[in-house]
Amino acid sequence: MLYSLHAHAKIKSLDSSAAEKMPGVKAIEVIAGPGKTVRYHGDDIAVIVAETEEQARDASQAIKIEYEHLPHAATETQAMAENAPKIVNGGNVRKGRAQTTGNPDDGLQKADAVVEGTYFAPVITHVCLEPHGLTARWDDKNHITAWASTQSVMATANELAESNELPVTNVTVLTEVMGGGFGSKFGADIWGTTAARISKKVGGRPVKIFLDRAQEHLAGGNRPSVLAKVKIGGTKDGKITGMIAETYGTGGVARGAQFPLPYVYSLANYKREHADVFVNGGNARAMRAPGHPQGCLVMESAIDDLAAKLGVDPIAIRKSNLAPNDFRTPIYLNEMEIGAELIGWKQNYKPRGSQKGVVRRGMGLALHQWGGGGANDKQVSCTIFADGTIELKSATQDIGTAIRTVLAMIAAEVFGLKPTDIKSNIGNSTFPPGQSSGGSTTTPSMSPPCYNACLEARDEFFKKIAPGLPGNPAATDLSLVDGQLLVKGQATMSFKDACRKIGMNPISVVGKSSQGLASNGVAGVQFVDLSVDTETGVVKLHKIVAVQDSGLIIDKLTWESQVFGGVIGGLNYGLFEERVVDPISGRMLNPDMELYQLAGASDIPEIICHAYEPDDQKKRGVIGIGEPPTIGTAAAIGNAVANAIGVRVPTFPMTPMNILNALAKEGKA
Amino acid sequence: MKAFEYVGASSADQAVKAMSAGAVVMSGGTDLMNRMKDYVTSPSRVVNLNDAKDLAGISGDAASGVTILAGTRLADVLASDVIKKAYPALWQTTSEVGTPQIRNMASVGGNLMQHPRCWYYRSGFGLIPKSADGKHMLREGDNRYAAIFMTDGDALYAHPSSLAIPLIALGAKATLVGPDGERTVALSELYKVPTSSEDSPFMAKAGEILKSISIPAAAGKNGSYEARHKQAHDWPLVLASVNLTMSGDTVSDATVVVYGVAPVPWRSKAAEEAIKGKAVTIETAKAAGSAAAEGAKPLSMNGYKVSLLKTVVARALCVTVGNRYWEA
Repeated sequence: MLYSLHAHAKIKSLDSSAAEKMPGVKAIEVIAGPGKTVRYHGDDIAVIVAETEEQARDASQAIKIEYEHLPHAATETQAMAENAPKIVNGGNVRKGRAQTTGNPDDGLQKADAVVEGTYFAPVITHVCLEPHGLTARWDDKNHITAWASTQSVMATANELAESNELPVTNVTVLTEVMGGGFGSKFGADIWGTTAARISKKVGGRPVKIFLDRAQEHLAGGNRPSVLAKVKIGGTKDGKITGMIAETYGTGGVARGAQFPLPYVYSLANYKREHADVFVNGGNARAMRAPGHPQGCLVMESAIDDLAAKLGVDPIAIRKSNLAPNDFRTPIYLNEMEIGAELIGWKQNYKPRGSQKGVVRRGMGLALHQWGGGGANDKQVSCTIFADGTIELKSATQDIGTAIRTVLAMIAAEVFGLKPTDIKSNIGNSTFPPGQSSGGSTTTPSMSPPCYNACLEARDEFFKKIAPGLPGNPAATDLSLVDGQLLVKGQATMSFKDACRKIGMNPISVVGKSSQGLASNGVAGVQFVDLSVDTETGVVKLHKIVAVQDSGLIIDKLTWESQVFGGVIGGLNYGLFEERVVDPISGRMLNPDMELYQLAGASDIPEIICHAYEPDDQKKRGVIGIGEPPTIGTAAAIGNAVANAIGVRVPTFPMTPMNILNALAKEGKA
Repeated sequence: MKAFEYVGASSADQAVKAMSAGAVVMSGGTDLMNRMKDYVTSPSRVVNLNDAKDLAGISGDAASGVTILAGTRLADVLASDVIKKAYPALWQTTSEVGTPQIRNMASVGGNLMQHPRCWYYRSGFGLIPKSADGKHMLREGDNRYAAIFMTDGDALYAHPSSLAIPLIALGAKATLVGPDGERTVALSELYKVPTSSEDSPFMAKAGEILKSISIPAAAGKNGSYEARHKQAHDWPLVLASVNLTMSGDTVSDATVVVYGVAPVPWRSKAAEEAIKGKAVTIETAKAAGSAAAEGAKPLSMNGYKVSLLKTVVARALCVTVGNRYWEA
């Protein structure tokens, strides 16, 4: 890809003739030609296809472009300035209507203490380990096969079909495995559709296009920034009486910076105004629990600051402000108790600012919530073959939550087999309609139809073979346990041998969803124990506890893997990640894996994942787990830092710079 | 990456002969390769020193001094008992460079001759980045990682070599070899402050390559301390190395060198003067740290580095006498 190095410019001319003649170059397709405006560093200009990646890259350097530079507003500060260049029609700052409940001014009047805080977290980029992209091949003049890194094989197939004017049945999109999506990979994207077009142009040869790391940061999507000015008050018993919040955020040259606030807690009196700020920057894309980490960070910082001012215990203030009639409230109460025990709150918690010494220990917590319910219109097919093979098929894909394994486990349970005995085939757009992997919906969408398909296929299998069995048993006399067919509880033959009786036609059933197998809505609490070196501003994490409910857990191992990943993503938001944009050139200064900081192994502390799964959770059925465990981590880290050093660090991430600046401002450095 | 000629040199001699205008040497390559891939550096010829046998190895001992050939891998520095015992300032700093993979590949010479990490430089704006309308981008842009000394000048980036800090503190000399033969200079003289983006940040003459570093006999005590954001793979924000000559418990002579605060390894005479004639205690160390910050002129965003500098110098002094007060 050739992309813009300028934050805002009009392309006056573009000459690719020299590039076209360079070694290995097969095709150049211009996306933004003369007359077009590029609106951020990383905006697409052209796709160059060559025999090798290096040749394509060298050719991209040989494309000559003349720009007319336009004034840019690449940072929130620039975009909100009085004389800011207008980068979109309708103004750079788009205010929504204020939400008001009760009487917030009155509420603040009645408070025993009021705190005013400003909280900021920068844009963070997606940084999937595997970048965005696909390989597209025209199999013949009417068919495309594409191997894509996507969260939706079906959406990608639709996009490729539409952009290439083919019926969608002529396009097959395959995603065997993928290296992360986190919300940023739902379609083919302009580079994907262009690659498919070029494949046709070069006689059907497969064209592989993947973004490089820099463009991945620039154009692969990001989480919007958040700037919140909050006034919050409460009474000595820890009850919040009112909150007024003014919030901003940028999702680049598009909307998308809105987030939920108030968050988790039930407030009788509040006013909230939000504005989306447009900047010359790459656009936001859904990122693991879109909106929630920002809302959590603002709400949890504010409530923690209020607790400190009131002299109320941080756990107590949270208990006092949960919604009385919400199903999540008892879950939060139990989860807070479990989490406090696991982090050692009673033994080690000290009130904010009470610590002396150079290196100070701090503890903090945060509550979060998510939906995680599934769709009810997805399907899974289950086929039993005469050789004993059981195959599941669905056009869903594994974003990392191990849906392939989960489906196999469900089938294994129904058929009395091991998960490794099941052929669990996903990631193919031509299979029965499956769920796009987003919003923690894959497992709750796909588990019910899988379960139903397996049950129906098994029952049909019983019906088919029962008449031929000795003693002529009824189908209802049959069961499957440990690879054996049981007749009235007695093992009679192996499952494999029983399958031989099916005959030529395999048994094939397409299962649909049904009520009662999945549910929606989770809580979740996280605790952090850390130390801050007050002379260097360096934070050392000691332990993170994640207590998480998610209904019925199908596979504990992959469930835990999601919680670990969520927490690590969250601690990156809390401690490390920041898209740094140069106000002068409008360019991102750290589109790499060096100065765009992410935790390494030694930055990651002990993480305790506690599955909150009492019987009443199991009865709820399946709920997704991908999103919730990443929401509260950064907020809990910010609170633990404030607890340790006695000063709120208003700016995320918790870097030595931000911490030392906060200490210096309070005269404590 | 632009096409280039490649010469694999099996000796220093061969390498010197292969040098031509526009040629660069590759020793390790963990910096050069990235610059070439990003089109920041586009040499006409690359002379690879990685297979030059006479450029790798460590010889000598604590009593007579140690010579480290420029191609020695950082991992081999860490494996040296002499360096670990007699030059802990160097050993500690080396252990904190990059990752195990980088330390297995990167060389001492490559570390000393790497180019600044300044994000404007790495974005292609040059060592002294200026915008089209003449603004100094690092002065007026994001300078959180930039220098706090010599900021009246135009080179505002922070010098990138960690190893230069302990080596200069230890009084190391650099031997260069070129078409006119060998010459040896104080390591600190290898560096200069460029006056334009076309200017070199090194004093080496055209065609010269770095051959070896020699460290004088170990006398007294030495140590290093660095403050960094991440525990894993990261650059120091500020790093200080000190070399103390002791007379009993009293410091009779001191060298204090700091990373991350100037476009060259920054020798803090003020800190040296402050600690001389005193025993190293938390109080005297902190006083020396404060002295180190005298005259610092931070830019718009890096004022925090002044307090980091004070702490890091104080801690380097304390570490050297075995006091890790902050861990108490």
